[in-house]
Amino acid sequence: MTRSAFSPEGVTFGVCLVALGVLGTLANLGKLELLPLLRTYWPLSLVLWGALELVDLMLRRSSRGRS
Amino acid sequence: MSSTPFDPQSHSAAPATAAPPPPLPAGPGSAPFVRLPKSPGLAAFLSLFPGLGQVYNGRIARAFVFFFAWVGSIYLTATGHEFPFAFMIPFVYLFNIIDAWKGANAANARFLGGRSEPDEQLEIESPVWGGSLVLFGVLILFNNLGWLDLARLERWWPLLLIAIGGYFVYASLEARKAAGGSGE
Repeated sequence: MTRSAFSPEGVTFGVCLVALGVLGTLANLGKLELLPLLRTYWPLSLVLWGALELVDLMLRRSSRGRS
Repeated sequence: MSSTPFDPQSHSAAPATAAPPPPLPAGPGSAPFVRLPKSPGLAAFLSLFPGLGQVYNGRIARAFVFFFAWVGSIYLTATGHEFPFAFMIPFVYLFNIIDAWKGANAANARFLGGRSEPDEQLEIESPVWGGSLVLFGVLILFNNLGWLDLARLERWWPLLLIAIGGYFVYASLEARKAAGGSGE
């Protein structure tokens, strides 16, 4: 039995918060429109979450193979 | 005065002659009381507002995921994306309550030194969950970018139920096979 190398949902949440902060700052500076951007690209968070779940699975399998 | 005067002898004699109560018999019911750190009922009650039960359980990332999934589903349904987000509202809401209940039980199990259920869930040994998230995200992204029209797939949504049901049957058969292989 192997434990997770990291928490995919925690990393996704952190990355999303950072991205939201950067985009919010740029929106406040008048560089972009925040809401249309979020409405279009929010599924990228699902893609990131799923990709991290797959990476986590691969890491666990490889660490189990070594032990 | 006609009332009888207070006689300290009569009061002090009674406790002296009465036998002390016998000790309770030791048995399985006399185990020491352990106060568990989390109440599953309270966690489920707090999750009537999505995410609050997860905050109570100390799982802040999950709390935000449930809160935004719920609010996002309502917002997208209200802005004309009834499919699939109208289906997601009750799903997210009920899953949020169940997750809070299980999270509190898991915290109690960890406190008592047992194995917690979410740790088992974290060890999903199948790429189906991660693959489904990526696929779902890509489909919605393509729909948002206008490269794909998910509304055209509306009539095929029952195929999703077939796929999920098939996966559960497969997983249950695999679990049975693994249990048989381990000597049961």
